[in-house]
Formats: sequence, structure tokens, C-alpha cells
Amino acid sequence: MALKHSVSGFLADRYDMETATGFLRKQAGKRLPPHTSWLHVFGSLSLLLFISQTITGIMLLIYYRPTPDEAHKSIQYITAEVNYGWLYRQIHAWGATLMILAVVLHMTRTYFFGAYKKPRELTWVSGVLIFIVTITFGFTGYLLPWNQIAFWATTVGTESANKIPIIGEWLRYFIRGGDVVTGETLSRFFVVHVIILPWALTGLIAVHLFLMRATNLATLEPVGEEKPIEPKHGIPFFPVHVCKESIVAVLLLAVLVTLSVLAPWEIGEPADPLVTPEHIKPEWYFLPSYQLLKYFEGPYGAFFGIVACSVPFLLLFLWPFLDRGKHRHPKKRPIAVGIGLVGLIGALVLGYLGHVSETEQTFFGTRYHIDHYGVPHRVADKSRDEGE
Amino acid sequence: MSNRFLGNTEMNEPTPQPTRRSFLDWVIGLFSAVTVGAMTIPALAYFWPAAKGGKGGDVEVKEAANLKPGESAIVQLQGKAAIVRRDASGLVAYSAVCTHLGCLVKWDGARKEFLCPCHAAVFDASGRVVSGPAPAPLPAYKVKEVSGKVFVSTT
Repeated sequence: MALKHSVSGFLADRYDMETATGFLRKQAGKRLPPHTSWLHVFGSLSLLLFISQTITGIMLLIYYRPTPDEAHKSIQYITAEVNYGWLYRQIHAWGATLMILAVVLHMTRTYFFGAYKKPRELTWVSGVLIFIVTITFGFTGYLLPWNQIAFWATTVGTESANKIPIIGEWLRYFIRGGDVVTGETLSRFFVVHVIILPWALTGLIAVHLFLMRATNLATLEPVGEEKPIEPKHGIPFFPVHVCKESIVAVLLLAVLVTLSVLAPWEIGEPADPLVTPEHIKPEWYFLPSYQLLKYFEGPYGAFFGIVACSVPFLLLFLWPFLDRGKHRHPKKRPIAVGIGLVGLIGALVLGYLGHVSETEQTFFGTRYHIDHYGVPHRVADKSRDEGE
Repeated sequence: MSNRFLGNTEMNEPTPQPTRRSFLDWVIGLFSAVTVGAMTIPALAYFWPAAKGGKGGDVEVKEAANLKPGESAIVQLQGKAAIVRRDASGLVAYSAVCTHLGCLVKWDGARKEFLCPCHAAVFDASGRVVSGPAPAPLPAYKVKEVSGKVFVSTT
């Protein structure tokens, strides 16, 4: 206690501590809209995952070596030799996938509750930028273990850039650091993943939180009719909402460790630039784009495919400026909710088709081969034919 | 605009004259822009990949020398993958990079076709597109056999 007093006395003699503590008290005591619920925890969950990714990322950096000769070996070393290295590698890999999921859920909640509307358009736009940076984190981090799947998924992913007219070839050459994926690509992805994106995301999160605090959380009242939240109706940020977020944080840690132990990510075979493995597929968050690209064939197919994959992102950016309706409550916005549901279900269906394409699946006891386009073809059951 | 470049002049003044201060502002602005430009251009150039790849021409492919009829090999030609195979008429070579999204094709001897394992593009023995999403044929390379050594030209 004496130490606390002497420290606060030391600070108070030198700085205007009243203003600083007053600001923090005001932020902690802020009332959130009455509808704030468990659905409002995905933002802080995303932030928590970013912090976890930063800490585990720094830990992995101590042993990871970003060269074609050593990258895969260093991942093996981290997994097999370093104390708890397997755990931190798994938490980093699972954390990446969960972070993207958390950001998507956060955006979904924001969309359906109409929280992107005036005056919070720029909070939404900064959120879409955070989403894109998060996905880019996934894309660049995926290559770093330098295994076969990562190498060829990156080859295909960066080749897509080549289909953009005029600048495509230039862009692919720049991203890869040459004509093909090599150690130059690994260096570039490494720098982007561990230096550029972390700082970009830190800045974007700062802007996002500042804007969120400046305009407070959205109520469900229409644009222009939002009333100040009365203390007796509002939900105190501290302790009520912070308590919910803490419960979710503890559950998240449990889920991360459980997944790391029970469903570990494989290291895979080291990259071989002369052998393309069969049926390489990207991570789940790229599966909808991966599947959509397949339906665009012919000389300009890939170009139109890239356009088709870009439109949803463009719509996300522009949505607060396109949807000018005043209502926020989902029941009063049938068109916006309908478009959102179609987009969400479309992404899920494409993602599922991408996941099952070029595999065999059993539906209602019948075996099907799912082709490249996701169309099922019945597989003749040889054993039964022979039996009959 | 007039205030920015010519100083704080009265609105009703007929011919505003630049002041010493506004002139200095302008000079400082110009020098700042030149300095930033001079620092940015080499920095941007630094990020441009230095590796230009090979210069083309004949490259010896040792792996191809011992190929028997019907066999094929994927080899590196100055950083790019090529597929060399021996058929009844001799050695032929094509780029192994699928023109769709850059995976490496394989030679299927039974079907006499090149198959891409990623998105099921199929090319015939001459590299022409048979089916699938590939937008263009596989480029063919010239092959020479000189006293048991195989040379492939990518130019």
C-alpha cells in the first residue's frame, strides 16, 4: 500500500493524473446500449487473438529461419526439440484460423444490427481494412513453413495476380520477387508477415477503437434518432460487459489449447519446386474464392474470375454509403438482411463445394465422386456389383 | 491560391505581390518535395526484384540424356520448370508450367496427355489445350542432341 501511495504521489507531483484517471474512469463507466449481448464479444475476441498471435509469433521468431534450406527444418526443430515449441506453433496456427473466424463473426453481427450506418461508416471501413489485413496475414504466414502445400498454394495464389490486365505480370513478379516462387518470395512474405502487417494492424486497430469509442456502440434506433443511453437502461462497460468478454477470453484459451493438442497442424513435406502435389487446396477462408474462380474458363476467364472475387470486397467497403436506409433493426431492413444472408450462404456453399471438390463423399448411403466444379457423380460400387 | 503563393494580400488589392515569406514557403516546399522524391525513388527501386532469370539460349539438361522412349522428366531451365520426354521421333520439351494458375503438369503416358493436378487442365502431346480451364497451350522449347548431350533452348 505504501509503495502504491509513493508511486501515485511521485506521478501526481509531475503529471496531471486527475485528467488521465478521469478519462479511464469515464471510459470504463460508459454505458453500452441495452441490446449489447454475448454477440458483442467478437470484436474484443479478435483483439485478444491478435495479442496472442503477436506473443506466439515473437516466440516462434526466436527459432524460425526464413530461407528455403532452413525454414522447414526450423519448424521441425521448433516442434520436436524446443521446450513447448509444439504448443506455441499450434496455438499460432489455430489462433490464425480462429482470428479470421472471430473477425468474420464480428462483421456479421455489425452488418445484421445495422451498426455500420451513420455516424459509424468509417468505423466499418476501418474494420473491412482490418479484415483484409487479417486475411493477408493468413496468406503470408501460410508460406513460412515452406512445405509442399504452402509452396504450391502460394504459386497458385500469386499466379492469380497475373490475370489482372496491364499490371498483372508486373504485380506477380513484384510479389514473388521473380518469375516463380523462390527464397526471394519467402523473404518478402516473411517481412510482410512479421513487420509490415503487425504494425499496419496495430495502427488500424487503434483507429478502429478510437472511432468506436468516439461514437459509442450503435443502438437499434434509426439513424438520426439515437438517444443518449440513460444510466438505468444502459449496460455498464465495466464490470458487466468486461465480465462477459473475460469469460469468452478464458473459453478461447481453453479452445486454443484443446485444438492444439487434439487436432494439431501437420508440418507436411518440404517444398519441392519440381513436383506439384495432387489436389492442393487453400485454407478454408480462401475456399469460396478458390471455387468461384473455377467457373470462369477460357482466355479471359481468370480475369473475370478475379473481378467476381473482388466485387464482394468492394461491396463491403462501399456498403455503408450504398445502404442509406435509416433503420437499424434487422426486422425493418428486409432487403439489406436478405442481401447479407445471400452473401453469407453463397460463401458457405462455395466454400463447401471447394472443400469437397475432387473427393469422394457418401450421401444417404450412396458414394459420389465430386468433380472439379462441385458436381456429384455416382460412383459404381464394384464390390456390390461383383456380389450380385 | 493567391494567399498560399503570394502571401496575405487584401482582397481588393489589384495586383498582389509575392512577399518574402510566401516566396520562402514556396522554396521550402519545393526543396522538401525534391528531397522526399530523391529518397523515395531509390527506395522503390530497392523493392523491385534484382533477379532477372536466365538470358535464354541453350541449356544442357543432364536428366534428359538417359530418357527411354515414353519416359519424361521435369527439369529446371534457368529457374523455370520444363518437361522433357522422348517419343518415337525423338526428344521434345515443353514448359511444365500450366498456363492456368502455374502448377506443374505431368505426362500421362497411357493417355498421351499432359495433366495438371491442380485444376484438371489437359493438354495433348503437342501442348495444345484439350479440356479444363487452361487459357493457352504449353509453350514448346527446341531440343538438340549433340554427342549424347541434350540441350534445350527457351528462346
